[in-house]
Amino acid sequence: MDLVKLQRQLVDYRDSLYHECFLDEQFTQLQELQDENNPDFVVEVVSLFFEDSERLLNELTKALEQQSIDFKRVDAHVHQLKGSSSSIGAQRVQKSCIAFRNYCEEQNVEGCLTCLQLVRQEYYLVKSKLEALFKLEQQILSAGGSIPI
Amino acid sequence: MTLSRESHTSTSNSILPQSANLLTENGKFKKSMASALPSGDQGAAEANSGNGGQMQKKPFTFNEIVLRNRLTALVVDGDNFCRLLEQGILQAYGLETQSVNNGDAAVELIASGAKFDLILIDMLLPILDGVEATRRIRAMGMRCKMLGVTACSGERERQAFLAAGVDMFVEKPLGPEILIPVLRELDGQV
Repeated sequence: MDLVKLQRQLVDYRDSLYHECFLDEQFTQLQELQDENNPDFVVEVVSLFFEDSERLLNELTKALEQQSIDFKRVDAHVHQLKGSSSSIGAQRVQKSCIAFRNYCEEQNVEGCLTCLQLVRQEYYLVKSKLEALFKLEQQILSAGGSIPI
Repeated sequence: MTLSRESHTSTSNSILPQSANLLTENGKFKKSMASALPSGDQGAAEANSGNGGQMQKKPFTFNEIVLRNRLTALVVDGDNFCRLLEQGILQAYGLETQSVNNGDAAVELIASGAKFDLILIDMLLPILDGVEATRRIRAMGMRCKMLGVTACSGERERQAFLAAGVDMFVEKPLGPEILIPVLRELDGQV
């Protein structure tokens, strides 16, 4: 695929991620902070987010499997995930955390389990979208082009 | 004890989370486990962007700020990712940063004489929470700019944190629309 086509594809794909609320302005801020002094800022920060989120999702699964559920603990994890997803601009993950916290407050196990499933879904969705975005960027750079703004 | 020029990513607490090793001595992001873009190709890309389009370097946006002074910041956040991200953001703006992951370490650091121009502090923190840590920091006479940066929302939380002594209550994420005016003020650019 030629370079201009790749670049067009990237721009369209990136636009769609914003349009479908997978990403928001916070992600834009991160991109704007990337420069020649910090050339891999976004990729590194996003990788940290993946690692952190997967750890939290595991903790949440474990916490909700307990005989006697510690809702405070569950809430603390969701709170963290809400904070980190909002910091990276993963809007849909952030929003699904809000509902989750409400069920924690109500100590509603069924609600929490449903929300966990939803949060996990949204997380893996945004993860695959971001990975696809980075792959496109890498293809462009390998082809000798630069990433369109 | 005053801050040396080379500020380390130090934590007064004993256990550093694994990912914290991603930061180098002076707090810059190392090449992490992320699939790094091939650096060689990137160099070539810079030289031959014969791509037919006007893909030049990013234009200067209103978001950018150039600091005239050396500003230092402390990030206090119990979540590994948020802490490192906020540090990364502040560094990208040109600040020298340190971070700790609990309120007690923050208080200890200030008590030991460390001075900062800016402190970002979360509300929910292990060992000692953000509200109490803020109270104690203020009680020690620290007049620096403190931003409560938290995923907590709600008027009650906001009032509590402000009452404890933060100058601003900021719901995560911390965006440029809030940060840049603060940095301008600290830098004497206003």
